[in-house]
Amino acid sequence: MAEIINVNRISKNYERKIALSSLSFTVEKGELVALIGPSGAGKTTLLNMLGAIFPPDQGEIVISGKQIAEMTDQKKRAKKIGMIRQQFDLVGELPVIHNVLAGRLSDWGVMKSLVSLLIPQDKDYATAALDRVGLKDKLYERTSKLSGGEQQRVALARLLVQSPEIVLADEPVASLDPARAEDVLELLVNIASEEKQTLIASLHSVEYARKYFDRLIALKNGELFFDLPSSSVSDDHIKRLYSLKEHS
Amino acid sequence: MERNWMSFELHKRKILSLILGLAFAASLFSVEWNSELIHNGGLTTAKQIGLAFFTPDLSGEILILALESSWTTLSYAAAGMSLALIIAFFFGVAASGVMVSGEKNKRLIKPFFRSQLGFMRAIHELVWAWLFVASIGLSPFAAIFALAIPYGGILGRIFADMLEDVPQEPIRALEAAGASKLQALWYGYLPMVRASITSYAMYRFECAVRSSAIMSFVGIGGLGYQIQLSLDDLHYDEVWTFVFFLIILVILIDAWSNQLRKRLIQ
Amino acid sequence: MKKRKLNFVTASVYALILLAAGSWLSIFTVENANLSTLFSQSNLMYASKFFNGLFGIGEENPAFFNAESWGNAWALTMETLVMSIMATGFATICALLTVVPAARNVADGSLTLVKKWHGRISFGFIRGGYIFSRAVPELVWAMIIIFIFKPGILPGAIALALHNFGILGKLCAEVIEDLDSRPIRNLASSGAGRVQILLYGVLPAALPRFLTYILYRWEVIMRTTIVVGFVGAGGLGQQFKLSMSFFHYTDITLLLFFYLILVFAADFISEKARYFIK
Repeated sequence: MAEIINVNRISKNYERKIALSSLSFTVEKGELVALIGPSGAGKTTLLNMLGAIFPPDQGEIVISGKQIAEMTDQKKRAKKIGMIRQQFDLVGELPVIHNVLAGRLSDWGVMKSLVSLLIPQDKDYATAALDRVGLKDKLYERTSKLSGGEQQRVALARLLVQSPEIVLADEPVASLDPARAEDVLELLVNIASEEKQTLIASLHSVEYARKYFDRLIALKNGELFFDLPSSSVSDDHIKRLYSLKEHS
Repeated sequence: MERNWMSFELHKRKILSLILGLAFAASLFSVEWNSELIHNGGLTTAKQIGLAFFTPDLSGEILILALESSWTTLSYAAAGMSLALIIAFFFGVAASGVMVSGEKNKRLIKPFFRSQLGFMRAIHELVWAWLFVASIGLSPFAAIFALAIPYGGILGRIFADMLEDVPQEPIRALEAAGASKLQALWYGYLPMVRASITSYAMYRFECAVRSSAIMSFVGIGGLGYQIQLSLDDLHYDEVWTFVFFLIILVILIDAWSNQLRKRLIQ
Repeated sequence: MKKRKLNFVTASVYALILLAAGSWLSIFTVENANLSTLFSQSNLMYASKFFNGLFGIGEENPAFFNAESWGNAWALTMETLVMSIMATGFATICALLTVVPAARNVADGSLTLVKKWHGRISFGFIRGGYIFSRAVPELVWAMIIIFIFKPGILPGAIALALHNFGILGKLCAEVIEDLDSRPIRNLASSGAGRVQILLYGVLPAALPRFLTYILYRWEVIMRTTIVVGFVGAGGLGQQFKLSMSFFHYTDITLLLFFYLILVFAADFISEKARYFIK
């Protein structure tokens, strides 16, 4: 398999606090990676830098052989990298169909996006994607009226329409109740492997991470704590990762 | 599916926007758009007024006059607001119905006082001013009363709304502890609405300064009066001086009330 | 910190009380106003004459029993209505055209993650314009505008629009500043361009509150139409002033009646419309 992400000694500081220090790893195409670690370990910072929301202070990120700093065209980048966060990523006032079709905006010109608000364009994409996440009947519902789990499925449908090669998920199920959380996570992982996407997700729950992902990258205090296939992560690893003693 | 896309629920905002847009477009047809709309030489006047904006009259005499008129305007506004607050307090408490017990009494009293407040604020302060001048003659009191009535109306309405929205649990606790209606008002309702009513009153004070400035129109002194006199004499540079003083006055009060609001609501 | 907070608030309260006291003092002393003269014999007579006039007591042909006056007042009412709609429209268009760069989070790039070198400058410039436009009362705008335009509803609409442009602009800019930035940033990361972000992220979230503010300003504008009319900017106000000058007090009653109907109707329609889009 080919290498798709190469993170080379990146660092990031906020004010005086170190968020990430000299972190390196590579991810191969099609891998399912979970980021775990106590809160404040730098998971969100890492994902934001992978998603080009902001650049690292030092070091470089290379995606498919190209420096991320050089991928300035937002529309092309959207074909490469897609993001999903907690459920607040959708425009609540819009009907579901527009939120899903927003994944097509990188392909559309201004005129087509304007017309689509009046008469939805490329509707088949939206129907197919919503069918896949099990929300076919909610096509014309106002998004804010859906439950948290349903909203997260809509966000997944948008990612399906956008169909990037890499999916970055920042605590995708943090605000859902356990039953819904597992449903959505399973859906996320299944879609990624069916679409042959590379998935990097940060998670609170180690249990889910071990259950659904191939590889676990653990961060602690901005540093790599371990990077192992999920089958070889032991309970002892986890205990040490979340213990407070080594903190100081 | 297609039928569903046409569902009314999804398009209410677009429909309202469309209606408002059409109403505006229709209103444009009521004016005959030709050069008759503008005075002969109106454009020249416009140019003069525009140029005078950059060269306001800053001679000492005018500045002193402007300062004096600013104080007149401010003092009418402050006096009017102090009366308005008294009106708002009594009518607001009455219209909120927090002082009466029994659903039946409330249903009688609230609409009565609310409609009075509605009447007070429905008529613009300048119309009130005119009515007062016509009946009690040119006096600062005409301006003050004219400000106090509509501002009392709007403040009273907001005050009543706030009192009604006060959470009931602390009030019931007070009443259970043996507080009378008046004590519940004093120790329960008023402390809970104090911050929001103060910041709203400050915002209205800013409006009152602007309203007080235009009281000049019925012949009562202040910045607006000076603006009008200068306009009549075609001294556009003086006009802008007075306008700038008014703007500064409004900005100062706006800044003050913003600071106060920031500290009150947190 | 807490102490300073308290101090500012208490100081402000004292300053306000002082200001009110000083104002009353200067009104009583410097301007020599006297409450007792208010209720002098002659004033009472004027007042009673005026109010009798309003109710048409002793009037041979009060306006409100005259079909022609009713027709006339009705035409003026329609004119006033048109003026208020036109004014709201002008103000809305100007405010919407300028509102995006006037939002702080757009200017500093925190909303769309795009920072432009002129962001700060256009922000300051437009916000300055808003302050200027709303600090000047409608009537003063009307006084100035009437020097350029001939009397009619257009100068009235322009004067009302000039004042409300600043208010609407400020309110709408604050709506954009309060928007949840997360959905908008996510649109940006899924490849939406600037205009697309505006269409899909900003507009749907801000539109309901924009509409609410526009309707609310329309209510206020309706109340103020009569005032700009005083200086010759058309509508009920212009006739009100003429009738005042000719002491046609029963006309005034009729005009005030129509004015109140307009104001209450505007309040009613706007409240229903705001409820409609909830």
